[in-house]
Amino acid sequence: MQNHNNEIIKNVKSIISQALKVDENKIELHSSLIKDLGAESIDFLDIVFRLEKTFKIKIPKGELFPEKLLTDARYIKDGKITQAGVEELQRRIPGANWVEFSKNPLVANLGDVFTVGMIVDYLSEKLATANK
Amino acid sequence: MRFHDKVVLVTGGSHGIGAAIVKRFVKEEAKVYFTYLSSRKEAAAIADSVGKPQRVSFLACDVRKKEDVQKTVDQILEKESSLDILVNNAGIIRDGLFLTMPDADWSEVLETNLGGVYSFCKASAKQMMMQGGGRIINISSIVADLGGFGQANYAASKGAINAFTKSLAVELASKKVTVNAVAPGMVNTKMSSAVRSAFGDKIKDRIPLGDFAEPEEIASVVAFVASDEARYITGQIITVDGGLGLLSRR
Repeated sequence: MQNHNNEIIKNVKSIISQALKVDENKIELHSSLIKDLGAESIDFLDIVFRLEKTFKIKIPKGELFPEKLLTDARYIKDGKITQAGVEELQRRIPGANWVEFSKNPLVANLGDVFTVGMIVDYLSEKLATANK
Repeated sequence: MRFHDKVVLVTGGSHGIGAAIVKRFVKEEAKVYFTYLSSRKEAAAIADSVGKPQRVSFLACDVRKKEDVQKTVDQILEKESSLDILVNNAGIIRDGLFLTMPDADWSEVLETNLGGVYSFCKASAKQMMMQGGGRIINISSIVADLGGFGQANYAASKGAINAFTKSLAVELASKKVTVNAVAPGMVNTKMSSAVRSAFGDKIKDRIPLGDFAEPEEIASVVAFVASDEARYITGQIITVDGGLGLLSRR
């Protein structure tokens, strides 16, 4: 399992490096895709496409990164994600650290949640399920 | 050669401007794939005429059908490792007065001219993004800007292409995919022959350069926009109309 994870980590770092045009050595598991690595919305799509190709998997829309949630009035109020919004995010993306995010659920802080490690965790679980 | 072994896809390459674009890219050593709607014989004749059969292939595709479009792009990517340049040229006219225009003429023009652009961009942009760049060139028309009598459907489709071009250019810029449109004025093709024959040489009086463009002259501009020299151009509507638009705005 450890080797499997190392392989995933190596591939994820390589993919992020290619998609975001950042030096692979600067990519850590705790790196935030937005704050540390400068990702924009289209980069998330790019990363998903590359993950699908490399790992030969299908990632359904919104399963790894949320889509449309941030434009839904039910989930956003005064620049913050509502409790319902956090619960919806938790449901959609269970691998992320929502406990920490819930302490100050500003939309601006959402980027902190999307880390390299979150992608690795997602893939580890997805691939393990696929191999069962 | 600017396009040596670049993979180019031209939609609607059997006639007029499309055929000229196909020939231009083949001449400059690209690997060109083009689509045709109905006549395989005409497509084969264009392919034969370029004299480099190994550099040109043609595929049947109804650009209105998303599944046809995806299949076309998939077929190319089964053989090639990249899709470098997409030229959305396929288009039709169904001119007629708006008040008596059949709904079918409105729909068919929008689905072909605009729907085809949408579907091919959707099918190709993902590949271009992952390969680290690409060129998308949509063939628009001066009619998008000026309007045209009996051309509400055609003008609407081309105007939408212009707006689409600018928006997509913004979305794909960070991935080094440029998106531009080339908007011809009066071109010496079969498609514009009805207008030309209706007005005769009088229409030339409205064109400052005094003549119609040849399809090859539109192809030259498309080739420039597709080249490395145009790296810094995106989201632009490049008008090639002999100055027609200038006088019409007076």
